Amino acid sequence: MKKLLYIILGVFLILPMVTSANAGGPPPKDIMKGTFLNVDDRARTATFQKVGNKETMQLILGTDMKPSDVRVNKKVMVSLDKHAGENVIKSIDIMFLDMTIKRIISLLVIGLIGGLLSGFIGSGGAFVLTPAMMSLGVPGAIAVASNMCHKFPKAMVGAYKRYKYGQADIKLGLVMASTAIIGVQIGIKIQKYILNHFGNAGSNLYVSVIFMIVLVFVGGYVLYDAYKLSKGGDDTKISRLAVRMQKINIPPMMYFKVAKVRISAWVTIPVGLFTGMLAATIAVGGFIGVPGMIYVVGASAVVASATELIIAFIMGAWGSVQWGLSGLIDIRLTLLILAGSLIGVQLGALGTTYVKDYMIKLVMASTMLIVAVSRGAKIPGYLADLNLRPALDPQLAHTLTQVSYWALVTALASAGLIITVAMVKGMMQAKAEAQMGKIVSHG
Amino acid sequence: MKTEVNDFDRHMAAATFAEAGEFETATEFIQEGKDGVKREKTPAPATRKKPYAGMVIFGAVSLSGYAALMTHQDWVSETFTTGGWHAAYPVVTAIVFSFIHGAFASNLLSVLGIEAKK
Repeated sequence: MKKLLYIILGVFLILPMVTSANAGGPPPKDIMKGTFLNVDDRARTATFQKVGNKETMQLILGTDMKPSDVRVNKKVMVSLDKHAGENVIKSIDIMFLDMTIKRIISLLVIGLIGGLLSGFIGSGGAFVLTPAMMSLGVPGAIAVASNMCHKFPKAMVGAYKRYKYGQADIKLGLVMASTAIIGVQIGIKIQKYILNHFGNAGSNLYVSVIFMIVLVFVGGYVLYDAYKLSKGGDDTKISRLAVRMQKINIPPMMYFKVAKVRISAWVTIPVGLFTGMLAATIAVGGFIGVPGMIYVVGASAVVASATELIIAFIMGAWGSVQWGLSGLIDIRLTLLILAGSLIGVQLGALGTTYVKDYMIKLVMASTMLIVAVSRGAKIPGYLADLNLRPALDPQLAHTLTQVSYWALVTALASAGLIITVAMVKGMMQAKAEAQMGKIVSHG
Repeated sequence: MKTEVNDFDRHMAAATFAEAGEFETATEFIQEGKDGVKREKTPAPATRKKPYAGMVIFGAVSLSGYAALMTHQDWVSETFTTGGWHAAYPVVTAIVFSFIHGAFASNLLSVLGIEAKK
């Protein structure tokens, strides 16, 4: 418990030093919140009142907008098309959806499975939650913000549970998180550069390509490693790369007690930086942080995935404050996901005590590879946007979008299934062993 | 203070066993203090008491929280998204809910008999 307080204290010490360390980039600036008071069909203008402002302003409807798209007297988010001129509306999103039973149940189920994955492999859930929420009709920025605000309390509960099981390395988590925060800044700079030079489509393509390369290579390697271990490899053996890294003796040397690793800070810093850069680019830093801690630093999969939860907590907390300042968090969405994910994350955390180390790698690898498919299906569309290939046939475009979404759902469902089966098997085995123990001692 | 009391207990227990002629048990009690190894005070009961009360209390608090949220959602959505220092509203609410609902979830899993491997 005392150590947990240290973490929280550490977080507050780190926070003021950074400006915008949030996965997925900072909140958008060209969005206005407010309500439309009326629409003029002929002039194609609408009267808009910003939140907290008494004065109204006239906005012009974009070329592909219909006057009926403007919903009067409902709180909306308006994004402006700066390229089309002053005060031209690009899109209008209703901020707060009505909560139907279908939406509530969807959020609870996705939350539960996302939490399970998070508790087990240290990250996950977020990559599917944002698109899932958007498919329910939540505007993108609200989905990202509400997701971020659910992520950090969930990671906190998960990290606490896994710390109690003796799996989380707080020092490693703090070191990784503080360097990852710097990595996020670098990641955002690169993103901005690409956005300015190649526009939105270029940025999307960049994100997808990075996503594919990282996920296929890292996921493929983790899968290969898990396969080797499942065939009777030595679970405790650390990777050759990590052994070599640990031999580098450049001060300051750091000792991580739970991970049982003594390594130069010059090795952990780049791993943290890359985690942060990836977090800023693809919004899932854990996909590089956990393999990085396993194969470069030399921690076990159990310790690496537990430590990732500490990193997720620190980065998520800061991100939530940033998005909260822009007033984009829909607390109803956050709390509904939390209702399922807080059960899931504890279930996933205790699941790790029943399985072998390679099981964590297996779940991680299969999730990463299926998510890569999802992202890959989007690349042809982005290439067409950049005129690098002919425009997509509408039927094909629709199919690719469907493939992309359902691949995410499959990733989540298959991971949930593997974890559940592995956990139930482990529990039954533990029970049988306990029975045997009793018979022997009484016998 | 606690350790002194424990030490005192241990020595008294050792003395009792020694008086009764159970020298081995008596030395075990003494040894325990020397090498700092703790022995289980009482044999673990076959089934641990399940935290039904905790589950019900935290569950009720959590459920009424959700009910309040859903019945006042217009007001909540409006106030929580004002931005600026109001950012504290969603962040603090998320933390408070996680403690309460997290405690409920933890107790629920214990009641269902799903616990971590020792």
